[in-house]
Amino acid sequence: MIINHPLLGPRDASEFVYLGDASLIDRPDWQHENSQQEFHNYLYLRDNPAGEHRELWFHEQGDRSWLVVTRNTLTHEISKVELARDVAKERGRDK
Amino acid sequence: MSQSHRIDGGQIDRSKTLSFFFNDQRLDGYAGDTLASALVANGVKLVGRSFKYHRPRGIFSAGSEEPNALVQLRRGTFQEPNTRATVAELFDGLYATSQNHRGPLKHDLLAINDFFSPFMSAGFYYKTFMWPKAFWEKIYEPIIRSSAGLGRLSGKADPDIYDKGFLHCDVLIIGAGPAGLAAALRAARSGARVILADEDFQPGGRLNTETYSVDDTAGADWASTAIAELSSMDNVRLLTRTTVYGAYDHGVYGALESRTDHLRDSGGKPRQILWRICSRRAILCAGSTERSIAFGNNDRPGIMMAGSVRAYANRWAATPGKRVAVFTNNDDGWRTATDLAAHGVAISAVIDTRDKQPLAAPSGAMIAMGSTVTDTKGRHGIRSITLANGQTIDCDCLAVSGGWNPNVHLTCHQRGRPQWRDDLAAFVPGGDLPTGMSVVGAANGALTLSAALKQGHDEAGSVAAGLGFKKTKSALPKAEDEAAEVAAFWHVGQSNARAWIDQQNDVTVKDVKLSHQEGYRSVEHLKRYTTLGMATDQGKTANMLGLAVMAECTGRSIPETGTTIFRPPYSPVPIGALAGRARGKDFRPTRLSPSHEWAENQGATFVETGQWLRAQWFPKPGETNWRQSVDREALQVRSAVGICDVTTLGKIDVQGRDAAEFLNKVYANGFAKLAVGKTRYGLMLREDGIAADDGTTARLSETRFVMTTTTANAVAIFRHLEFCRQCLWPGLDVHLISATEQWAQYAVAGPKSRDLLRKIVDADIDISNEAFPFMACGEITVCGGTPARLFRISFSGELAYEIAVPTRYGDAMIKALMKAGEEFDAIAYGTEALGVLRIEKGHAAGNELCGQTTACDLGMGRMVSKKKDTIGSTLSERVDLNREDGLTLVGFAPVNRDDDLKAGAHFVTKGNAATTQNDEGWMTSVAYSPSLGHSIGLGFIKRGHERMGEIVQAADLLRGMNTDVEIVSPHFFDPEGERLRV
Amino acid sequence: MSDATLKARSPLDGYRQQFGTLEIVELNGLALVSVATPLDGEEELKKAMTTAHKAELPAVGSSTQSSVDDTRFLGLQPGQMFAMFAHDGDRAVEFVAKKLGETGYYTDQSDSWVILQLSGADVRTALERICAIDLQDSAFPVGAVTRTVMEHLGTIIMRTGHDTFVLLSARSSAKSFLHAVLTSVNNIQ
Repeated sequence: MIINHPLLGPRDASEFVYLGDASLIDRPDWQHENSQQEFHNYLYLRDNPAGEHRELWFHEQGDRSWLVVTRNTLTHEISKVELARDVAKERGRDK
Repeated sequence: MSQSHRIDGGQIDRSKTLSFFFNDQRLDGYAGDTLASALVANGVKLVGRSFKYHRPRGIFSAGSEEPNALVQLRRGTFQEPNTRATVAELFDGLYATSQNHRGPLKHDLLAINDFFSPFMSAGFYYKTFMWPKAFWEKIYEPIIRSSAGLGRLSGKADPDIYDKGFLHCDVLIIGAGPAGLAAALRAARSGARVILADEDFQPGGRLNTETYSVDDTAGADWASTAIAELSSMDNVRLLTRTTVYGAYDHGVYGALESRTDHLRDSGGKPRQILWRICSRRAILCAGSTERSIAFGNNDRPGIMMAGSVRAYANRWAATPGKRVAVFTNNDDGWRTATDLAAHGVAISAVIDTRDKQPLAAPSGAMIAMGSTVTDTKGRHGIRSITLANGQTIDCDCLAVSGGWNPNVHLTCHQRGRPQWRDDLAAFVPGGDLPTGMSVVGAANGALTLSAALKQGHDEAGSVAAGLGFKKTKSALPKAEDEAAEVAAFWHVGQSNARAWIDQQNDVTVKDVKLSHQEGYRSVEHLKRYTTLGMATDQGKTANMLGLAVMAECTGRSIPETGTTIFRPPYSPVPIGALAGRARGKDFRPTRLSPSHEWAENQGATFVETGQWLRAQWFPKPGETNWRQSVDREALQVRSAVGICDVTTLGKIDVQGRDAAEFLNKVYANGFAKLAVGKTRYGLMLREDGIAADDGTTARLSETRFVMTTTTANAVAIFRHLEFCRQCLWPGLDVHLISATEQWAQYAVAGPKSRDLLRKIVDADIDISNEAFPFMACGEITVCGGTPARLFRISFSGELAYEIAVPTRYGDAMIKALMKAGEEFDAIAYGTEALGVLRIEKGHAAGNELCGQTTACDLGMGRMVSKKKDTIGSTLSERVDLNREDGLTLVGFAPVNRDDDLKAGAHFVTKGNAATTQNDEGWMTSVAYSPSLGHSIGLGFIKRGHERMGEIVQAADLLRGMNTDVEIVSPHFFDPEGERLRV
Repeated sequence: MSDATLKARSPLDGYRQQFGTLEIVELNGLALVSVATPLDGEEELKKAMTTAHKAELPAVGSSTQSSVDDTRFLGLQPGQMFAMFAHDGDRAVEFVAKKLGETGYYTDQSDSWVILQLSGADVRTALERICAIDLQDSAFPVGAVTRTVMEHLGTIIMRTGHDTFVLLSARSSAKSFLHAVLTSVNNIQ
């Protein structure tokens, strides 16, 4: 596999470490009244789509960026690669 | 019999005679020969025995599709079984033996299997499982095992070396036949970076084996000119002897390059290189493979593919027979007759299944249109054929052509499905190709020369343009279109004798029919039941026939019956090549601490912890048992001072205005209020509330911390922290960098540690208990100005420090510490003594932080702050992780003090049976405590701290032990912790 | 107080070897300091670099060279670069801080790496056995730098000349790394 890194261009998948669903960025609020349930859902409930999937990859043997990779689980086609930091900011995590 | 079948012409170098051995018989060939062509030239017909029935077999083809001519190559440790003679390049001194026979090849004792063939039809192997039940293990299995398999391995380590590598290109061209060469020329001339790979040692493909002309020159000459041009270009990499064996995601291809297989001696260089090729586009020009026709006894030596017969004659000047008959269902087969006749070989007959006007044939050949071959004779080589009308014709070679199958294999590696083309009676690549791949030439069903050249030329032009390369003048190579009409014909129904489909796995028409009878309707099931196409040749010459017979059985068309698709590798890849350099100690890198050389000189025993080698203990003269060394080291730390290399602990430099807040979020306990110059123990949880890692973190300034992690988790923790930093809290000003390699760090532990360090630290540094109390840290200088870091932390429970200097001084530092320690009887201690000391103190380590245990279990539940948002804090409060009867880390001492304890034992209440239901926990760490004089253990047991003094069983069913142990405090030694604060 | 000063050792004790036209040299006497950009502090860091070094902030994957001194800045990851300069002592951070002040967070990395310089016409042929990065001129020009992995070892590779590459890998595995490089050289010659 080749991941087209937004800063470095195409790089071999062997440089990356996979984590999982990009929804791990959306960590719940610990003070939410139902925080245990929220965290439970956050940690254990995942979609398992046959098709497009947004997932987290770490460029461990590279620039140490966490990436959000949009990959089709049926074809392995990668349609989008973003810096996870940017995605996290867009989702308001820097507030 | 010296080259009795050598004829004129060919592309061999007659000035270079090469001697070789086949079954200890010395024979000669020429440079440019393959082992197969040299055997053909020497009139050798019988080259091996078949897999199941031990039928005599000869050379069937002239390429990598060969099912029969598998030999053992080389001798001794270099011996390699199942090598295809058709692709083994001849070299002087080559040594080959036939395989799969007992006794001489001509008189194979296991040929008796052929008489038992009625009992060994499709699925016989599975049937042996069924009945009688007791027979399998005692009778069937040993017999099958001893007679199965083809060649033999040497049983010794492979003495060859292998390598891997990475290549990049704009356009990968797979196959250097006419289509591939036309494509490569056009793409390369446009300026694209081209890799042209071909499995042969002489590129050119069928141009080398046919009598075609291109641009009015002989095909082979045109190919050499094209190769010469490509070789001279900087943007072209020509890989000969290289098989592109797999198409992977995103334009990545696997290729195996053979480097020294054609040499007598590898000269210490890699035998093969496994390339990973990253391409932007790929053009598959893999050509086509001729297929056979099934008829009675169609597996005798001398029955060969028609295209291969003329390949031997045209390219290698070797004729497989002196009286050759041709059996074909297509125009192409006739070329064999005319080509061989041109070399002066007698053609006895041409039999064509089609009832039509005959094509031009050599004079003297009997022509039979609309006829078939029903049977053959000749035990060790064909002597005659019988036609449908009963006529018998003598011949010593029968050239068979059932048409050509495009080599679609690589198009299927991403689950692409080939499509049927009626006009070719063959499958061609479907639309769902691997990303970036296009297919041209015979592989794409363009089975004539001019069509192949045009497709290659055109596709390369559009690929190059698509990649943004300039259009340059590049003329289309000119050639005539040869006759290539074909009428599907698969097997001769009139044949009563067995008709082979898959020669390598001995699958006959009858087997396919039988499997159909027994209910196997899907082609995938057919394959597995009959083993059709499952041998080392993957059925390259057989699959299509099998499918056609299956279609006939079911009364469906071939496309309705379906096709099996292919997966990598296209042809076999040695395990050695896949392993590459990763053998023995090169399997993974070794990390050495800066004191390694010194420790080696002290005679230390080392232990692998991850990639690190750490000193385990340092034996002294007279110590014969490891325990003596470890006991001494542990006691010496308690009584005087010891030094241990702790460089391997992960160190992470954490800086930023929000560094403290960040640590507060990743550690379960609080860090925001840690004062500058202080160190704190920290426990990290996973988000699910389970303990992940621990270590100490020191605050060097308002904005700077140095975190330590365990040796084993350093990389994973760094990754996790980066996740927290980038994905969870991108608004924090915090930065991480690993500093593990930057610092050589030594634990100096024991009552004399301060005295020792006073001799090391510079005079202006006050390390008195008042100035530098327990958990203090500081940036200091040592040995006259060398920068260092000092931490007053203790894993041993003694007065202890860890001192770090830049790694370049690590070697000098251990020597300086040991020298300074001489007067205090300082010793070096290894990881074993370190373990003993921490178990005596009840400190948790990797065995306790095992991924199943919570802070509560570890007795650190109160450390988890509920007043802040920390990774894992919310879920650590789940009810089931906080049960009253939850596990607790406690100590265990054997009731009989002489008993040894074993980690992994499970605890069971006295009187209960040692069963899963009665399991109450397990022993995690054990050691012999030299200070206490008996074994001690740490472990988890339900309600541990309420059960102090209770005696339970420590049951170790694996080792057959059951020891009574007393539950005690995990703090075996100095429970109040007074010694470390002095 | 100690009577002996501590003697420094380089990771490979100054390895240097010629293999035909290919030369492998362990580079010593170089300081490496990581410079992290404070959140929202990029402009100030840029200004400081211009003032002190007349150098640009490098993009990730490339390096910049000071036009007034020998410092090279290696853009390794977002918000973090390495400053590389000749310095034989153990006070590299102080040198950087003197120039860039408090515009960055500094961490000494001088002792963390073994540095090998490979030069010669065959250098790319040797490296293609262990390096997955495309090292062709168009893809990896002089000045390019990136972190990757070679034979399981994290490696920073920088192209300093047409036929010259500088490789940095973890100091603790320096011997394994040298072995990987030497094997590649042996295997091509």
